[in-house]
Amino acid sequence: MDPRYDIPRRAAGGGGGGSANSSPALGAQSRRRKMPPRPADFKLQIIIIGSRGVGKTSLMERFTDDTFCEACKSTVGVDFKIKTVELRGKKIRLQIWDTAGQERFNSITSAYYRGAKGIVLVYDITKQETFEDLPKWMKMIDKYASEEAELLLVGNKLDCETDRIISRQQGERFASRISGMRFCEASAKDNFNVDEIFLKLVDDILSKMPLEVTNKELSNSVLSLQPEPEVPPELPPPRMRCC
Amino acid sequence: MDQESKESTDRSSLVSDDGKNSKSVLCQRCGSKVLCPGTAVLAEKELFLPSMRKKSGLSSTEASVDGDTLSAHWFVDDMYTFENVGFTKDVGRIKYLICADCEIGPIGWHSLDDKKSFYIALDRVNHA
Repeated sequence: MDPRYDIPRRAAGGGGGGSANSSPALGAQSRRRKMPPRPADFKLQIIIIGSRGVGKTSLMERFTDDTFCEACKSTVGVDFKIKTVELRGKKIRLQIWDTAGQERFNSITSAYYRGAKGIVLVYDITKQETFEDLPKWMKMIDKYASEEAELLLVGNKLDCETDRIISRQQGERFASRISGMRFCEASAKDNFNVDEIFLKLVDDILSKMPLEVTNKELSNSVLSLQPEPEVPPELPPPRMRCC
Repeated sequence: MDQESKESTDRSSLVSDDGKNSKSVLCQRCGSKVLCPGTAVLAEKELFLPSMRKKSGLSSTEASVDGDTLSAHWFVDDMYTFENVGFTKDVGRIKYLICADCEIGPIGWHSLDDKKSFYIALDRVNHA
């Protein structure tokens, strides 16, 4: 667990920063009401894409043991998550979409791409074909995503180093050919670099933003719960599965 | 606050004068923070939530699902009020809310027919 990702959680009971924490003797109960809950400073949408089996869903999870509710997990599946991170003194709500189950390139609706401020493109370092698929994913990004969207290429399954087929240099080289694309390797299984992925992406997104714009425009640009229903005619209906 | 039962007495310690949650709302299993104090309103509404136990399956036929009808919930009208929360895929017109970190759940309920209503069941979370 990366403590940085957990800042909001560790501040339990404080209702976010900026409170009268200099006076520990004050009765917390009576005080608490006077501090209005701190709203989020930014809201950002992030999508995770990549070929089947590369570990997109695991990147959204903190624990990979099997104790979580199987009912939610395997039968219904997680659609998206709201996660809060704090960075540069700002509180940022991330809406993270995992596109698992929609891996065929054209089955992910353009709406997913359109609203995304950050796109995490994942491949599996032990599977050649998932790396070879990257240009096809890039085509989708070029076609549908905002030009300003931050891109991060992630070589996942670093825990399977012995089965590695795609070298770190290959990943780096691919990313370096695309302007503004960052690269890292991660292991969702060991939770290595996973939180950093999101923090890095958010940091990049924040540094691109003129500060005055962010508060006003972002809160309105956030996607609603479901991606827009509208599907371009050339695309099959959303949520198509391959079998 | 009505204090006729022990349950509501316990409950009153969780609710501030303005009807909001006086404490943080946390995942029972991993402690992930779902809501900050003062961000949600106590709402009475009978909602069926499938059991959190592992064996029961969330299927679309509710009759076969083991679960509870719960009536005390923390209500928010904007999903960005949550610190951390996960949404399941649709089950009929419902999305269940789960812990964003360990994915235990369902801890809450959202109907696609009401985009401004999100409920977290008091009985399925911790307060601290």
